[in-house]
Amino acid sequence: MTHWLRGAEVRLTRRGAVASRRDFLRTASAVAAAGVTMSWTQRVALAAETLRRGGKRCVLLWMEGGPSQFETLDPKPGSRSAGDAGAIATAVPGIQLSENLPELAKAMGDLAVVRSLTSKEGSHPRARYLMHHGYLPMGGANLPTLGSAVAERLDAERAADAAAALPSFVRVGRTSGGGGGGMLGVDYDPLVIDDPSRPPRNARPASSVLRYRRRLGLLERLETDFGAAEGTDLVDAQRKLVAAASGMILSPDMQAFDLEREPLSARQAYGEGRFASGCLLARRLLEAGVTFVEVTLGGWDTHDDNHERSKALAAQFDRPAARLLADLKARGMLDSTLVVWMGEFGRTPRINGRGGRDHYPRAFSAWLAGCGVQGGRAIGATDGLGAEVVERPVSPQDLFCSIYHTLGIDASHENTTSAGRPVKLVDGGSVIEELFA
Amino acid sequence: MRFLAIFPLFAAAATATLAAPSPSRVARQIDRLIAEDVGLSPGESAPRVGDAAFLRRASLDLIGAIPSPGEVRDFVNDDAADKRTRIVDDLVHRTEFGVAQARYWRDVILSRRLEDRALLVSAALESDLAEWINAGESWSVIAERFITATGSAREDGATAILVAQDGRTEEIAAEVSRVFLGVQIQCAQCHDHPWDSWKREQFHELAAFFPRVGVRPQRGRPIDLVVNVADRRDFPLLRTGANLNRRGRPEHYMQDPERPEEVGARIEPRFFLTGMEAPLGTRDAERRGRLAEELTASEWFSTALVNRYWAELIGEGFYEPVDDLGPGRKPSAPRAAERLATAFTDSGHDLRWLHRTILATDAYQRESRPRRAPGAKPFAANVAQPLRGDQLFDATLAALGVDERRLRGLGGARQGRGYGLATPRLLFNSAFGYDPSEPRDTVQATIPQALARMNTPQLNLAVRALPGAVVGGLSLRHADDASAIARELYLRTLSREPTGEELAVVLDHVDGEGVVASAMEDLFWALLNTAEFSHRR
Repeated sequence: MTHWLRGAEVRLTRRGAVASRRDFLRTASAVAAAGVTMSWTQRVALAAETLRRGGKRCVLLWMEGGPSQFETLDPKPGSRSAGDAGAIATAVPGIQLSENLPELAKAMGDLAVVRSLTSKEGSHPRARYLMHHGYLPMGGANLPTLGSAVAERLDAERAADAAAALPSFVRVGRTSGGGGGGMLGVDYDPLVIDDPSRPPRNARPASSVLRYRRRLGLLERLETDFGAAEGTDLVDAQRKLVAAASGMILSPDMQAFDLEREPLSARQAYGEGRFASGCLLARRLLEAGVTFVEVTLGGWDTHDDNHERSKALAAQFDRPAARLLADLKARGMLDSTLVVWMGEFGRTPRINGRGGRDHYPRAFSAWLAGCGVQGGRAIGATDGLGAEVVERPVSPQDLFCSIYHTLGIDASHENTTSAGRPVKLVDGGSVIEELFA
Repeated sequence: MRFLAIFPLFAAAATATLAAPSPSRVARQIDRLIAEDVGLSPGESAPRVGDAAFLRRASLDLIGAIPSPGEVRDFVNDDAADKRTRIVDDLVHRTEFGVAQARYWRDVILSRRLEDRALLVSAALESDLAEWINAGESWSVIAERFITATGSAREDGATAILVAQDGRTEEIAAEVSRVFLGVQIQCAQCHDHPWDSWKREQFHELAAFFPRVGVRPQRGRPIDLVVNVADRRDFPLLRTGANLNRRGRPEHYMQDPERPEEVGARIEPRFFLTGMEAPLGTRDAERRGRLAEELTASEWFSTALVNRYWAELIGEGFYEPVDDLGPGRKPSAPRAAERLATAFTDSGHDLRWLHRTILATDAYQRESRPRRAPGAKPFAANVAQPLRGDQLFDATLAALGVDERRLRGLGGARQGRGYGLATPRLLFNSAFGYDPSEPRDTVQATIPQALARMNTPQLNLAVRALPGAVVGGLSLRHADDASAIARELYLRTLSREPTGEELAVVLDHVDGEGVVASAMEDLFWALLNTAEFSHRR
């Protein structure tokens, strides 16, 4: 919780300056004539100004279960590996995507598709861990997940701007084994939102706000005995925690979680479904100052009926993802926001007896957009069957190096385990230069 | 002849005395040695903790639960000089003692699981270990079971470490060493350890005791994990290296970091502490059996265990972190640590004995103080600890007067589905639990935890002054006497009476609120959200 509180300290140390975004909002509100309350959009527009000066942000669109590259980013029409879905031309001549992705095909100018990811890890939990941490699980090293590591690094760089009421890392949807803050501590654990169409759990006081404040007042006055000598530090920490938690849920920034505040047209533009709501929520959270948002689309483990299931799943992310990019662009935020789409591995070229595809880490795909990534290109290639990487192999470590590099984070930065063992953000790997050149 | 008949009795009595040194005597020795080791004079240490706080502390430490208001009153009003010793003896013989300790070890082992499916060993781990501890089994016998286990994770809790490490040779070796010896030899897994003297080869020699162990899922309802042994004599001894399928009779290979594409050198089992070796080809049962025997006989085995419990009970280990004893680390009170470890070995690795001894020390019975600054003397006070998930769950239920079995009925325990994660206790533990091996000062409460404590609708319902609920009942019984109700609420939550100052604050709140019942709802809510409630003072 401490970094959520850092704002308070920062405000004290920077007299005269607008030290935090919340302060900025308050100042702006105060400037507004009495009786005139600013709308959410106005407030966000002002906030976005300060954000633009500030650092970078990241959205991870996590495809849980292992999305089929054949039905998404690396179609092989006419080959033995092809399923039912054909390929379509994109906005970029020479690059085709699966016909399941008509909207992203139009947005291809912003996407860098990597078709040559390759790893050895074909078991869900281990691959999920690998693609969230850049490492395989190691006993004794409680590694931070990507979102936590990014949030911590970016917050470290811009302490003055980190004074939001909202946490820096929000995860939308359950990701089993997606990891948390690990050795970085609970400050960087994600705030998990199960259902993006509802507010975070336990974020609504059970009593009226007035009574809630009275209760908080009583709590504040009570702990004089334990706080006197035996648990001075603990009482202090608990008070801060209660203040931060109640501050968060009573803060106007909580409106970011309320999708109902978005115009109907905007909601419709994202389309139907939880993932669509998640993408819209991601945009609102980024606008409210959240550093990293992870949105999960599950159900990709298509061991049977791959073609129909992949088609339905693609329909769930195609429009929202394209819309998210367009929205970020329209707000001038795409230049500083990295969007990554990936899953734990790809699926087999061979179609099994149940019309499904099995796990295939040897050759799979992902895409990146924004934050300086050059769109309109396909990096690496697989052979005609999609069975082998034949050009520019990319390891998970390379991908992680590239993500950190894009966000301006030194991938050789070391965190230390409780046993005093230093662990780099990424061990080995190198930046995929083709993303930028 | 009579003389000869008596003789064995004498011998037995002598062994017993030798085997179980008196807890109170050892406690006094430890206190003296600490004072000498760290140069602690009587004036520098915190005063002896009061009776009510002692009872809450000992109850949480021994049986994982807070005492009832009646138990607090009885204990405080008891005039007997030896009441603390007696209550400790009583608590360590309750069934909840084994259960609470088993849950602690469940958190130690499963916090380091590689995959969530390992959670399906939880139930068996908890019930088997509780049974062994309650039967007074020695920690060395229990450790041997964990090291040599085979079979079903749902049926045998001893498989827990193997299952949590997913049957992976190197991970198992690392975890066995960490948990039972307090040696983090896995740091030498990839390279020679930068500051410890263990070599990479020694780690792999330890791993070579486990190459034949594997964990496989067994489909069916409910799904299970089985610890298999690949020991088939009719299969050839594999000479080709890394045998991830655990077929035939595998051996362990140490990869050359410069040549990751090759399997590396075949390694013979050798225990780094004693040099005990097992030749290649040794059967699994003998490999693990001999390792377990040597390992549990070593000094490190006793030191690691007493260090861990000392840290739990006093708030700081002789060695920190609790599972990293070295080599080359200097304990903060070397002679005290050594005396306690030796006496624990002499007790026959008896966990009850250890608890009775530590709880009898002055070091334990001092008031708590915030964790000391790096330069300050250790063990001058106890340190308040955040409750573990189970403790907070039980304390909350006890305070609210809710029976866990009733929760099961409501919460859809979905027996046999998933990994068994769906019981209210385990769900609560996954939200509030922590890894007990992590340094305690790094265990921080989170915003979602604070929100859950403040705003969970069911909890707020239970706080209300409804008939059948706590505040409703107290209001009836005490006819809206705010002071009397407040006293009861303090006893239910913090296991003590309010101070005069606290009572004044409460009465002031009652004045502001007007209605006694709703002011008491506020008080109950506030007490459940205090740091004191969620800590063991």
